[in-house]
Amino acid sequence: MIREDLLENKKGFIEIIAEKFWKFFSSVKLAVVLLIILATVSIIGTIIQQNESPDKYLREYSQSTVQLFEFLGFFDMYHTWWFVLLLFLFTANLTVCSLDRFPHTWAIITAPLKPIDDNMLKALPFRKEITLQGDVDKAMDRSASALKNHGYSYIESKDAGGVQLLTQKGVYSRFGVYITHVSILLIFIGALIGAFFGFKGFLNLSEGEASKVVYLRNEPMWDQIMDSLGIAKSPVIHDSQEGVPSLPLGYYVRCDNFDVDYYVAPSGMPTGMPSEYHSTLSIFNLDGQKILDKRIRVNGPLTYHDVTFYQASYGTVPDARGKVILNIHKKSDTQSPGETVYVELGGSVFVPSIDRTVKVLGFAPFGMRNPSTGEVQLFKSDNEEYINPAVELEIYNGKKALYQTTILKIDSGRPNMPEDYVISYGGYWGTRFTGLQVTKDPGVWVVYTGFIMLCFGPLIAFFGSHKKLWVRIQSRGSETIVLVAGSANRNRIGFEKVFNKVVAEISG
Amino acid sequence: MNSSLLFSIATLSYLFAMVLYIGYLAFRKKGIGTTATIVTVFGFLVQTAALLLRWRESYQMDIGRVPLSNLYESLVFFTWSTVMIYLIVEFKYKTKAFGAFVMPVAFLALAFINVAGISSDITPLVPALKSNWLFYHVLISFLGYAAFGVAFAISMVYLLMDMEDRGSATNLYVGLAVIVVLASIGYYMASLGGQMKTAFWMGIGVLILAWFVYLIVAGARNKPRVFLFWSFCVTLAVSLLVAMGIDFVYLVSFQHLAEGESFKKHIFEGTFLNASPAISIISWLVALAFFSFVWSKGMGLKKLLKPYIPAQNLLDDVTYRMIAIGWPLLTAGIITGAVWANSAWGTYWSWDPKETWSLITWFIYAIYLHSRYVRGWKGTQMAVISSVGFLAVIFTYLGVNLVLSGLHSYGGMN
Repeated sequence: MIREDLLENKKGFIEIIAEKFWKFFSSVKLAVVLLIILATVSIIGTIIQQNESPDKYLREYSQSTVQLFEFLGFFDMYHTWWFVLLLFLFTANLTVCSLDRFPHTWAIITAPLKPIDDNMLKALPFRKEITLQGDVDKAMDRSASALKNHGYSYIESKDAGGVQLLTQKGVYSRFGVYITHVSILLIFIGALIGAFFGFKGFLNLSEGEASKVVYLRNEPMWDQIMDSLGIAKSPVIHDSQEGVPSLPLGYYVRCDNFDVDYYVAPSGMPTGMPSEYHSTLSIFNLDGQKILDKRIRVNGPLTYHDVTFYQASYGTVPDARGKVILNIHKKSDTQSPGETVYVELGGSVFVPSIDRTVKVLGFAPFGMRNPSTGEVQLFKSDNEEYINPAVELEIYNGKKALYQTTILKIDSGRPNMPEDYVISYGGYWGTRFTGLQVTKDPGVWVVYTGFIMLCFGPLIAFFGSHKKLWVRIQSRGSETIVLVAGSANRNRIGFEKVFNKVVAEISG
Repeated sequence: MNSSLLFSIATLSYLFAMVLYIGYLAFRKKGIGTTATIVTVFGFLVQTAALLLRWRESYQMDIGRVPLSNLYESLVFFTWSTVMIYLIVEFKYKTKAFGAFVMPVAFLALAFINVAGISSDITPLVPALKSNWLFYHVLISFLGYAAFGVAFAISMVYLLMDMEDRGSATNLYVGLAVIVVLASIGYYMASLGGQMKTAFWMGIGVLILAWFVYLIVAGARNKPRVFLFWSFCVTLAVSLLVAMGIDFVYLVSFQHLAEGESFKKHIFEGTFLNASPAISIISWLVALAFFSFVWSKGMGLKKLLKPYIPAQNLLDDVTYRMIAIGWPLLTAGIITGAVWANSAWGTYWSWDPKETWSLITWFIYAIYLHSRYVRGWKGTQMAVISSVGFLAVIFTYLGVNLVLSGLHSYGGMN
């Protein structure tokens, strides 16, 4: 074919190749083949664990297998060049299929309603001939009201033989397929934008620590390319001591506090089940001025200047000295917030508002108070989690020790507060760090647009139907012949019901 | 009166309804059919009340939340949606023929919950699940699965009715031989350690996929092979459920499970993976015998059902409609999952096994929807694709949690 075309000088070589390329990619069969390949290949990445450390793989598989899998890209399968190529082919196929068929669909959508002759009417899938007594006008009235009753607005067309009423509904349902395909394309484009211009990073901050950089798992591809081409210097810093690339934020982010809340059983006793992980983060500009703060939790991140901070994990800072946060207020004074003090373990602080010195004797991560006896028992928690911290206090007036008491984070009994003030637990600060996932994704709104379209496109494609009706009215002596005919491109059974109803209403 | 009691009543109703629908097909008496429908509706209403009651109970325990967040609740909701969709199909198409195929799915799913000892305690949500997206994601996904479940049942009926001749017994013997050989290789390779195990599963995956693709492409010309596939699906479904029932009896009732240990670690150890080779071999032999039984009696079943099953193209049409409903729901389910993941972890897609398998399921049903444009692919192939799709749904829903690992362990059992 190519040789013949070339010989006859009908088409240029590139044109022929382009045509073949187009024909290949506009095939639905190719779509099915690509879907089968994508489905099959995706399974591999679910059987072989992705992105694990090399020694974990060496424990599971032999050296040669690990090398083979690495070569094939099985350890980060969904980002290998051949998988991405498959996705590209899929998207190209989808795009070409849509572009190829759209002009024809557009022609159908924009085609004006035209009257058709009797032969064509008789060839339509739904047709019925009705004989009515009376004249054409009566038949017209009946037909018009029947159509109106079912929501069809019509146009009239008069010709030599009689009159035709033409109507259609649901033309725009033909867009459904294209909306669906475009939405997938948008998702793909959005993902690419995110890969090129976005990043995924992490940041561990101890309570009280601030950072003006974030550590990256992957450098934005755009910056990498621009840098290697010498066009623009990448903002990513590579020679940090940590060995992980970092990106300056342009502001400081600080962890003010991290804590875990645990579920409390109906009895009032705290359980070991976490109810919430939360951190309070503050943003400062580079001069040290505070801009804002927010308490973040899992499912409730902080977004600032297109960068989002997610609560991902936490841990204990080794050898850290914690401070107990105490809140003190007078028993009579329930309105004011009272005074808050920070005390190191073993340290003491003078509290002016009550004229007493409070000394912290000890801290335990998990205590429970017997509601009737008031006695506090200490428990071991998994990994020393602060399930219900207990703090032992000694209160002094000057140098004289007055009394000791123990307070808990959740107190189901009454702690011993013999004087006219209450000391309550405010927190244990400084021994933990919060693990934040930090991401920037400029493409996410493109992806979300694709998502929304992908929710509606298929519904329009499957449940919308382009329906057409023709009513041909001709007089034959004292009678009038009404020929009702129609077609629908989808949901024919439903259309048949409507068709029969219209016929019944015209017949009277 | 608590929700557990109501769920048990619903389970029994579905069992009763299942028997009645089968009886209706066998004895062809209208009264039996009407009773079957009434019992199904009764069971459905009881189950609805149970779901609402469970929701209320969670508030009374001060951990107020929607009853959709662990394996127990999601299985219960799956059966509820399946029964609802089945009832709609029955009323709309005025045929009770599918009841005998859909009710067993509903009954066995609910029975599996009780038999597998999945915890019905209302436990509070872990922090990652505390999002409004949870409700929509699970709700929509399960409605989609339910639609696919009904499509699967109808496809099974279609395939049976489509068969003309079960073909020579060679097909059965080859099928049995393949299972025996693969099972033996599997056991041997598993005993050699991690790498061999992975290689085996990959190999099995390749073979199964090749078989599916062959059936899809050449199924219409090779009806006996499709009949073998049908027998395999029926055998697989029944064996899995019976094996899990035996697991419950063996592990839980006879207390072979250590305190606090996860059921999931020991799945199939009552039967196919038993420490004693004798029991293991017997399990396989029973399964193979059942396979042979289904294969040999299948055509007889077809003759029995023929007067009652609607025309082929109606079956095909209803299957298409179910998938036309299920696929947008699955799409919305995946999307709500992605938006939730993004708001929780900053990534809308991380290729973890559960996400990937739901996408694989999505691809398979997309193949179904496009296959009507491929010349030569008619009802038989479409029914095969619909069945393969549902096998993928089962794997996405249960297999990933029970067999693979990942972020999605909320629907697991421990």
